[in-house]
Amino acid sequence: MTVESSGAGKRGDPMPSGAALRAASINKSFGAVVALHDVSMNLVPGEITGLVGDNGAGKSTLVKIISGVLRRDAGLIEFDGTPVNFGSPAEARASGIETVYQDLALVGNLTVWANLYLGRELITGPGYLNILDKQTMASNTREMLKQFQSNVPPMEAPVETLSGGQRQVISIARAAAWGSRLIIMDEPTAALGVAETRAVEEVILSLRRRGLSLLVISHNLDQIFRITDRIWVLRRGRMIGQRVTKETLPDEIVSMITGAATGVTGAN
Amino acid sequence: MPIDSPAGRVGSEGSKTRIRRGIIRRYGMTLVFLALVAFMLATKSQFGTYQNISNVLAQNSIIGIIACGMTFAIILGGFDLSVGSVAALSSVVGATLMIDMDVLSIPIGIAGALLACLFVGAVNGLLIAYVGVNPFVSTLGTMTVVRGLIYVATNATPRFGVPYGFTTLGLGKFLGIPIPAIIFMIVALLLGFVLHKTRFGHYIYAVGGNAVAASEMGVNARRVRFAVYVLVSGCAALAGIILIGQTASATPQAALGYELTAIAAVIVGGASLGGGSGRMWGTIVGVFLLGVIANALNLFGVSPFWQPVATGLILIVAVALDGYSGRGEFASR
Repeated sequence: MTVESSGAGKRGDPMPSGAALRAASINKSFGAVVALHDVSMNLVPGEITGLVGDNGAGKSTLVKIISGVLRRDAGLIEFDGTPVNFGSPAEARASGIETVYQDLALVGNLTVWANLYLGRELITGPGYLNILDKQTMASNTREMLKQFQSNVPPMEAPVETLSGGQRQVISIARAAAWGSRLIIMDEPTAALGVAETRAVEEVILSLRRRGLSLLVISHNLDQIFRITDRIWVLRRGRMIGQRVTKETLPDEIVSMITGAATGVTGAN
Repeated sequence: MPIDSPAGRVGSEGSKTRIRRGIIRRYGMTLVFLALVAFMLATKSQFGTYQNISNVLAQNSIIGIIACGMTFAIILGGFDLSVGSVAALSSVVGATLMIDMDVLSIPIGIAGALLACLFVGAVNGLLIAYVGVNPFVSTLGTMTVVRGLIYVATNATPRFGVPYGFTTLGLGKFLGIPIPAIIFMIVALLLGFVLHKTRFGHYIYAVGGNAVAASEMGVNARRVRFAVYVLVSGCAALAGIILIGQTASATPQAALGYELTAIAAVIVGGASLGGGSGRMWGTIVGVFLLGVIANALNLFGVSPFWQPVATGLILIVAVALDGYSGRGEFASR
């Protein structure tokens, strides 16, 4: 995989046929428990899509199926018009779907650059020695992070010494750095204070400006309304419907989440 | 930490002090070691003699070689209790082959010792990396089984008759430096390079720091763990081969308790048993700090029975200081 310090490597590629990702009639059960029942969802390229629902509605299950952590029992997923069935997160990643995990998947004792390049280290010198090219990785990392924040943390600092917001930015920058086209974020600001939340939201919006598709799970409805273009609502394993963010109000979404509203359709 | 500062700015002050603390932590033991050496040079004239220094080098090199391997296991978040037994296995298998083989006895002895030890390392690696057995339990098990098998096979009796020329390896000198010390230096340089410069070494820190996150990002944590336990046994095998050179015999009781001395040296050198931290340089300093203290007790005429007491106390102080500074960092975050 080539390294592009500019981040989204495939930015500008024409995205064929409407949806960047189309999930149709996804079913998933854990034993007798039906987690997802005939769930369908479309992600529009270049949009930030919010996925909301109460605890246990199936948000995490759906996201894990898209990112290759879980396998679906039935249904179809098309990414960029091609049917996909990922057996592992690595396969999803190879296709351009990156996930920012809630635990951020950072190694606390490793430096900033080491976390950004974790699993994709640059090598210098004779191939059999596998010597790390620390300088190039550090300077590339600095460039990547500069796109997101004015004050970049020291490259040699272990990430466990950074604030939660800085760590979140590193995790997001890593997801955006390898030619990825869809980034999935599970509660990206759950552990952050007000100011850090706003800063991370800025980073998310800057990814949309680059044309990436984003899928954001959040319990924070204010945040969903601040950053998303479209909202999909899950309730008890069923997709209740979608709304264009500008054309709806928090009250309507809340009623969809809780089931107070009836007769809502999921059609476009 | 001010809550209203933007995400991009919070923490860089804190991480600078953290880096400074890291430097003190990294070189603190070196300073203690240098102070001890200076004290000894000032108070005991025998200490600085060529004879004494070359003795200290020769006596600590075997533990040093084992400690180099142990550094990898401890940074990985584990340790290996079987190294003493494995060194004895190497010594017994190697010496027996050297005594009994008529042709090519030395190369066959060395190869046999290495093979036997790498097999034990592979068993440790399989148990820990693939079966998921805790490193304490699995290496305690192989430690006991291997030592027991050695006693069964030898009837716990030493055998003599290793070719005389082989003692050069254990007792000889090159340019005035004991050969075991030269081997220790080469091993430390080589493994220090692997640990600090290569991707494999980098992954040891990653897996030791957060194996789940490393795996999520595509690091093969199992393969790293397996390789490290094989490497630790390889170091123990080399130590056992040098032991043959020092004793010219197959000694079933060789290297008893070496595992704890090696672990102590690595921890005194600044590595944390929790994994993810430690440096090869620290291990070298830890080895010689313990070695010079033993030498100092000896030179001051203190009974050698006090030596384990001193080693134990230093270990406790080093770990307590580490825990104390760790708490301080946590509190300031």
